[in-house]
Amino acid sequence: MSDDIESRMRAALRPVAPREEFAQKLLAQTIVDPPARSKPRDFTAAKLRPLAWWLTASLAASLVLAVGVHRHLEQQRMQQSGLEARREVLKALRVTSQKLNLAYEAVKSQSEKSGV
Amino acid sequence: MNDAAADPLDNELAKARSGERAAFGVLVQAHQRSVYSLALRMLGTRDLAEDLTQEVFMQLNGNLRSIDSNRHLRFWLRQVTSNRAIDQLRRRARLQWTSLEEETQLFSDEEDSDPLLQRHMRALLAELSPPARAVLLLRYQEDLDPQDIARTLDMPLNTVKSHLKRSLESMREKTAGLVPARCEDNST
Repeated sequence: MSDDIESRMRAALRPVAPREEFAQKLLAQTIVDPPARSKPRDFTAAKLRPLAWWLTASLAASLVLAVGVHRHLEQQRMQQSGLEARREVLKALRVTSQKLNLAYEAVKSQSEKSGV
Repeated sequence: MNDAAADPLDNELAKARSGERAAFGVLVQAHQRSVYSLALRMLGTRDLAEDLTQEVFMQLNGNLRSIDSNRHLRFWLRQVTSNRAIDQLRRRARLQWTSLEEETQLFSDEEDSDPLLQRHMRALLAELSPPARAVLLLRYQEDLDPQDIARTLDMPLNTVKSHLKRSLESMREKTAGLVPARCEDNST
């Protein structure tokens, strides 16, 4: 009984051929785009993948380096301007001290004169 | 069954892998009937079957270097066709069966079988779930044994066996009314 239904299934499911025009179209299409052509495409893609990775990595490294250098220069510039300001303050103090000395000397000589 | 013997298509495969267009054409001609029949009976319409057949051979075009023998090629084609068809059927809610002209294409009409019985079997096949339909087609159209079906569909062997058992039981039950009449006709 099982063989009966199985043989009926086999008979019913014999492969059928596609339409002639489809078969010819398919053949023409596969021959136009042959397997050999797909090789360089795959090869190029496979070669480009590490290149893209390296490009991305070097771009990222350059960016990090640029930020680092910029920060370092900024720090140096701030340090320089700090030293400059300190120098200015010292100079101002020196000038003030000289002026005060002169004033003191003038007051002192005047009081000596009036005391005599 | 004679897969171990030297297969003349192995030479064509080697030539196709080295880029020979005509050899690839020979492979397409040798396997298009099987791929198309599987696609047609899985999807139910000629247009969808032709599209799927075309896609499968285009995919083969890009994967030819990974195929090492004609036996492997047959396995690859059945696997890709079945899986793509199952995916398509899962995406669609319901299979659309179209004109009678196409229906006659779904089964071969070269043998002396009862057209009524064939139409009934076609309807029953269409009622099966996509994986069960693929199992039945690989068993009775492609003549694979359950182990090869399990490998092709990446399915446990017991699942394949239970699909076969249930589908056949259902077919036998539902064609029971038609079969005796046919036997009587044949005996006269």
